[in-house]
Amino acid sequence: MFGLNKIIPVEPNINFLGLRRNFLIFSILAMLISIVLLSIKGLNLGIDFKGGTLIEVSTKNTSIGELREILSSSYSDVSLQEFGNENIILIRLQNKSNQESIETVNSVKNLIQDKVVEFRRSEFVGPTISSELLFRGFQAVSFALIAILIYIWLRFEWQFGFGAVVALTHDVLFTLGLLSILNVEFSLATIAAILTIAGYSINDTVVIFDRVRENLRKYKKLELVDLFNLSVNNTLSRTIMTSLTTLLALVSLFIFGGEVIRPFALTMIIGVIIGTYSSVFIAVPTLLIFKFRPQDEDD
Amino acid sequence: MKNYPIWKSFTVISLVLLGIIFAIPSIIYDENSKNWFLKNKINLGLDLQGGSYLLLEVQLDVLYKEELDNFVDSVRLISRDQAAKIEKIDIQENEVVVFFTNIEKIKDIRDSFFQMYRGVSLQISNNRLSIKLNDEYRKIIQDSAIKQSLEIVRKRIDESGTKEPLIQRSGKKRILLQLPGVKDPERIKDLLGKTAKLTFHIVDNENTSALQNNLAPFGKIIVSDMYDENTKYLLDKRAVVGGENLVDAKGSFDQTEGHAVSFRFDTEGAQKFGKVTTNNIGKNLAVVLDGVVITAPRINSAITGGSGIITGNFNAQEASDLAVLLRAGALPAPLEIVEERSVGAGLGADSIAAGQIAAIIGMVFVCIFMILIYGTFGALANVSLIVNLFIIISLLGTIGATLTLPGIAGIVLTIGMAVDANVLIFERIKEESLKQTKVFHIVKNGFDRAMSTILDANITTLIAAVLLFAFGSGPIRGFSITLSLGVIASMFTALMLTNFLVYMYLSFANKKELTL
Repeated sequence: MFGLNKIIPVEPNINFLGLRRNFLIFSILAMLISIVLLSIKGLNLGIDFKGGTLIEVSTKNTSIGELREILSSSYSDVSLQEFGNENIILIRLQNKSNQESIETVNSVKNLIQDKVVEFRRSEFVGPTISSELLFRGFQAVSFALIAILIYIWLRFEWQFGFGAVVALTHDVLFTLGLLSILNVEFSLATIAAILTIAGYSINDTVVIFDRVRENLRKYKKLELVDLFNLSVNNTLSRTIMTSLTTLLALVSLFIFGGEVIRPFALTMIIGVIIGTYSSVFIAVPTLLIFKFRPQDEDD
Repeated sequence: MKNYPIWKSFTVISLVLLGIIFAIPSIIYDENSKNWFLKNKINLGLDLQGGSYLLLEVQLDVLYKEELDNFVDSVRLISRDQAAKIEKIDIQENEVVVFFTNIEKIKDIRDSFFQMYRGVSLQISNNRLSIKLNDEYRKIIQDSAIKQSLEIVRKRIDESGTKEPLIQRSGKKRILLQLPGVKDPERIKDLLGKTAKLTFHIVDNENTSALQNNLAPFGKIIVSDMYDENTKYLLDKRAVVGGENLVDAKGSFDQTEGHAVSFRFDTEGAQKFGKVTTNNIGKNLAVVLDGVVITAPRINSAITGGSGIITGNFNAQEASDLAVLLRAGALPAPLEIVEERSVGAGLGADSIAAGQIAAIIGMVFVCIFMILIYGTFGALANVSLIVNLFIIISLLGTIGATLTLPGIAGIVLTIGMAVDANVLIFERIKEESLKQTKVFHIVKNGFDRAMSTILDANITTLIAAVLLFAFGSGPIRGFSITLSLGVIASMFTALMLTNFLVYMYLSFANKKELTL
């Protein structure tokens, strides 16, 4: 039997908690920057949430410039983008009313009919729907966070729940901040990605918390910092392994899964990395705020 | 095979076999199979097989407005009967306020009105009678409008020859349409874009001043011509007979008139039509469709047979489309398209291919990685992982779930996350192996200790997935379905299948010590 897992020591002894101040400062800064970015630059909202029209076409011997020229003579707010390769072009238009956009799709199709091999997809989201979708997305994320917290609170002591909230808020904010910097399109799929990240991050946190709880019973004399450090070290190889296998699958999805799914895969990759980081460096240190044992009062 | 209960082995093996067998229909994927077993395959979402999704909103405001107009007409009629004089009528967003010159008859008028429209709120103050469209009344209008619209939309879609459409109510005032295989929904949108309200009215040719002043007297309306907006007709407001009395309509060709629509009335319609044409010979009869006059021929003789033709400047397609609309009946209110997503079959096929490649490559990566790290145990976990994939596919097929592009993403993600439970177990076994020497003790403790962690960790992911299903829409739901099934399947494969495999391996290899 061969197994590279022997490289990772069975009981590693890395002083994660010793570095907590540095990471805390880093994370607080990252969250602040994210908030500033979200309020100034905002997210690159896709048509799901902004409303509008999107048409994907595949062309033959036509450059994106030619198409742009044809369309921009009729529409002032049209934007074109190559999608995956130079023969596939994404056309986006902003429309004010439902009726207008239906006419727009038809007239755009007529204008470029002879340059196009195939209309691969067309999407139109009206203004009422887009605001509804945004609201429902927000609702889904909030309810999911609350439900997860209730579960943690029932299964663990409330202090753990607090640690989990801090870590989750951190993950969501940080991820959104990075999406804003990278200008990744924010769509319905992104909401799904964020919820999955929340689930994943909590999953990671729960595994470590589980060990903290077990060790709290097992080592009654150990100082809390050392106990937390031990718990993180105990679960370290699992944390790394699971993150790596998940990332392997996601990278494969990012590279081979096609253009439509790429923003989703990217969001997930960012989220899994942040979620893993926060479980170790944010969720666990947060528990230090609380005095789990009477004898730790002078800690 | 030390102490491994036979019933447990049996359960594990049969579940695994079931998982593999029921994945077969989805893997073969015979689209038109009649075989009961092969029918248990995954449904592909519109984004994978190509097709159109439309969300239509019933314009209820139009109906409310219509009802307020009806109120006004009724109040005028009642007041005329009671010889009460109306000073003015004020139509607001939700109510009609009628001002009377004197207040004597106002209570009687209110009571008569209430006889006609039960459920509206009526209020009198001084010389004012206000008639309010309250929430209950609106809800009645809304519900019946949606029900009727659904029925009409279904008929129109059926007439258009679309295969396996899904038509359902969505929320309070919307209708959701899924049209697989329809790549270009323009014709469908045209068919749904018309209310197709057909009515026949007697034309008033005597009162020419009304047309000149563009002011219709009570009981009359002014309607433009379909082909020339400046040509106006003064019509009796009350329709002689309407499209609801039609039993059939067909596109036809008339030697002298060109393309036309021939129609036939039911008994009631035929009687009404016969009576009116008998009494109005010499007058014109206007055919009004959605508020415009298509044609207004002179009534030369009584038409008692209950059938006729409508002529206009139609071409063949227009005539047959109009016939479709008339056969299906009129929508109670206009429909507005508020969301549309159409995917061509090409993009759908590309997405499936890309999803398959991503899943296979992701799987290979994860498997290699597991073997590199855990050796033989990694290989056992890989068996579980592959079975896990089969189980997800067979569950999707047997519950008839719809696989979407985000759903494929969910499967790929599951491939990465499903090994987590195995990893948790192996890491525990590794720890236990430092404390004990008895191989089976180590393994048993490893599994037992990992159990509660696995449950906690997976339940949180399930919570997120379930809420995503509850609040998500369309393709996103596909993601939450595959993710949930993946999580559930991975718990089974890790806690039962991996467990079984590890025991088998240890007993057959006759391991005396465990290094992991």
